[in-house]
Amino acid sequence: MAQRNASRRGQKKGESFMDYSLLFIVLFLVGFGMVMVFSSSSYEANLKLGDSTSYLRQQLFASILGLVAMMVVANIPYHFWERFAVPAYIGSAVLILLIIPFGHESGGATRWLYIAGISLQVAEVAKLGMILFLSSLICTLGKGIRTNKGFLLVLLSPVPIAAMIYLITNNLSSAIIVMGIAVLMLFVSCPDYKRFFLLGLIVLAVAAALVFYVVQTAEAHVDDLDFRGARILAWLDPEAYSDDRAFQTIQALYAIGSGGVLGKGLGQSMQKRGFLPEAQNDMIFSIICEELGLFGGIAVIVMFLLLIWRLMIIANNAPDLYGALLVVGVLGHIAVQVILNIAVVTNTIPNTGISLPFISYGGSSVMFLLIEIGLTLSVAKGIHLKDL
Amino acid sequence: MNHKTYHRSKTVTVFFLCAIVLFGLAGRLVYLMVFQSEYYTLKARELHERERSIKAARGRIIDANGKILADNKTVCTVSVIHSQIKDAEKVIAVLSEELGLSQDYVRKRVEKYSSIEKIKSNVDKVTGDAIRSYAMDGVKVDEDYKRYYPYDTLASKALGFTGGDNQGIIGLEVIYEEYLKGEAGTILTVTDAKGVEQDEEGEARVEPVSGRDLYVSLDINIQSYATQLAKQTMETKEADRVSILVMNPQNGEILAMVDVPEFDLNNPYTLQNGMDAMAYSEKKRQELLNAMWRNGCINDTYEPGSTFKIITAAAGLESGAVKPEDTFNCPGFIMVEDRKIRCHKVGGHGAENFVQGTMNSCNPVFITVGLRIGVERYYSYFRQFGLLDKTGVDLPGEAGTIMHKMENIGPVELATISFGQSFQITPIQLATTASSIVNGGRRITPHFAVKAVSADGTDSLVFSYPVRNDVVSAETSETMRYILEQVVAEGSGKNGAVEGYRVGGKTATSQTLPRGSGRYIASFLGFAPADDPQVLALAIIHNPQGTYYGGQIAAPVVRQLFENILPYLEKKGYNRT
Repeated sequence: MAQRNASRRGQKKGESFMDYSLLFIVLFLVGFGMVMVFSSSSYEANLKLGDSTSYLRQQLFASILGLVAMMVVANIPYHFWERFAVPAYIGSAVLILLIIPFGHESGGATRWLYIAGISLQVAEVAKLGMILFLSSLICTLGKGIRTNKGFLLVLLSPVPIAAMIYLITNNLSSAIIVMGIAVLMLFVSCPDYKRFFLLGLIVLAVAAALVFYVVQTAEAHVDDLDFRGARILAWLDPEAYSDDRAFQTIQALYAIGSGGVLGKGLGQSMQKRGFLPEAQNDMIFSIICEELGLFGGIAVIVMFLLLIWRLMIIANNAPDLYGALLVVGVLGHIAVQVILNIAVVTNTIPNTGISLPFISYGGSSVMFLLIEIGLTLSVAKGIHLKDL
Repeated sequence: MNHKTYHRSKTVTVFFLCAIVLFGLAGRLVYLMVFQSEYYTLKARELHERERSIKAARGRIIDANGKILADNKTVCTVSVIHSQIKDAEKVIAVLSEELGLSQDYVRKRVEKYSSIEKIKSNVDKVTGDAIRSYAMDGVKVDEDYKRYYPYDTLASKALGFTGGDNQGIIGLEVIYEEYLKGEAGTILTVTDAKGVEQDEEGEARVEPVSGRDLYVSLDINIQSYATQLAKQTMETKEADRVSILVMNPQNGEILAMVDVPEFDLNNPYTLQNGMDAMAYSEKKRQELLNAMWRNGCINDTYEPGSTFKIITAAAGLESGAVKPEDTFNCPGFIMVEDRKIRCHKVGGHGAENFVQGTMNSCNPVFITVGLRIGVERYYSYFRQFGLLDKTGVDLPGEAGTIMHKMENIGPVELATISFGQSFQITPIQLATTASSIVNGGRRITPHFAVKAVSADGTDSLVFSYPVRNDVVSAETSETMRYILEQVVAEGSGKNGAVEGYRVGGKTATSQTLPRGSGRYIASFLGFAPADDPQVLALAIIHNPQGTYYGGQIAAPVVRQLFENILPYLEKKGYNRT
């Protein structure tokens, strides 16, 4: 309904169409994220840095920068970016490689580059780069994507970038997200289901085999496992590893479980007071649950579902395939990240560091997500009402 | 448009796939936050709550007159919580001034990043209250109890003292620990991961139960006077140690227990020479402290000497081996097998009956009596009198009697035992056994504790002690009282006589081992009134210089004590119980 109303307004003004529903959802999430970043970080920030608003201010700065970038991108016709497909791919690769000599370490991982005083997480750039690159590639392939060769080209072209993210920045989750974006874009651009069904089965089988292998190895000798293997064990039985490997997971579960239906009230989380380390980062959803209860947790999920729905509407009404693919890429990025994040926080899958889009603390993440929303808004602007 | 159609339907598929997964995750949330909520809430609470115990006030120790011998003083511990301090300069200024500490010292602690930093403990309550009145953020004043002994050194070895956790270390403090200590309370507080209390969260309290007050038979007036006498004697006689034990022979209540030099209960780790014990190595320190804390009345044994003739006499009379009118002749020595044992009077006492023999403290008389009783009978009396067991006094570390095994006692050993040599007993054992012999033949248990009363006074636990009635017959007891009164009236113990009172007693002078060292122990055991003993006193002077005869130096101590306390006890109506 909202969309139709908006369309009618757009009709009166001519071709210019601003998707206010999407804008509202995104602004709400960013604002809500700011509140939760402050709530979850203020206690520790005050103790450690002597300033309870330290994280909030950095997040606010990144968000404003992101919103400005979003509005700029929204007003650039999206076809402008078509020519940057290959540079985006190569640029992503170069940025990741730059980590080796110039990378900045934080929290035991080297994932950041300092550019003009601003820290930049290169994986976030690579995700946007991959969306731009694949949209162009798929458009160029045209019907060629239906051939096995085209299919494999789209499936394999993101592999080098994903592998570099995994190997150089030691960031498995971002690698998974890059691959996830690619698979979703491929899925949408191919007419058949059979190959994806097969692909899904293979992924499931590999995952099951991996879990089986880890459990078997663990029974023999735990020391042989690297820390990702250990994470699988911690996932299967978090209470048994609550002192080390499953520490974060258990603390998140305590937060979620103790929230109950109505929560402890905004700002009342106990787990953020040093029990759940860096509560404002990947595990922020557990603090939302603790403070705002099941009600708040589900409200956030519904909000993301609305966002994905809105992105689906825009993708399906995009003036051309390129625009549709751009939006599908953004949709894929957000959906994969939200699902993985909530699944990790609730210990539904093994722990891997994934932030919650728009809400978790992290300047690069929120900035590039907002740029992606800008792209989407730009695509939405191009919707011709006769196409509906 | 064909391609567009499938794009659309596939995008819709993606959306629905996402929706299904998100619904699944929402379901997982429902599971965790509704069905598992109780479990995780409990786990989280366990994690967030810290138990802090509240010390219970320790019961007081109160003497027979209601005077408090051991009390509690409220002291404060002042600490700072770094994260809560708002005005650091003010905190530093106030604390350094109020506590008399240097600014640098306080600053270092105030500026230290820690959850809680102690500035000073054992701060008196007035200062603590003053600091509290500033109401500065981040400054914590915690109240605590500290044991306090108003009379410092008085009865130190009997009372004992407490340690850092207010637990008894020696003396009555340790024996009656379970009555005195009370039950600690708890405060459940919610803290962050570092243990910093969260003010906004409520706290649950379980109030502590104060310990019971211990009422003891010790009489501060008698104890003070006895201590004074003991100190005087120790100085004038240049003795190593002087012990005075005063008890009620009828029921075993101890009225005074002095063993000078005593120590300061409020500074139990300061040695008598004023040195802090911490200055020594650990082993040496413990040795010195144990020596200082040792209670000579119960922890150490000694050769009683002639005071032990009371026991030999009682055994002789009870067994019928001797009668008061039996006559003896003392040539100044006696031959036992091939050994010549001398009497202390070189020329001998000549002809004398048993009463006179006791008055003279004549060794040959008692050796004769001892030999007449015989080893087996003597030994069974030993057991009957309770000499082979401990007295059961309510103090820790009572020493047992050191006695020959029966099968090792030959005539010579028996002879020496008869006049109190070649074995060792504790002063408390001697006083208790003598009490049993003169009180009509009832073996009483020496003790301090009378009752333990709950802090609010509603619940009183009265202690009872075992009494055995078969020590000696009433006749033997009466004869013993008569003979011992004669000893003081006209015999060797005449220095123990008190004008206007009938006093019974016995002197003793024993050379400490090894013989010939020139070290003596002079002692006197007296009781009054002689016909119905209400108080019994034993004075023991270790290694006096100059005159060392018990009759010369120990008897006057008891006399002075009796001169003072007998009228006092009469006035107090200290009568048969």
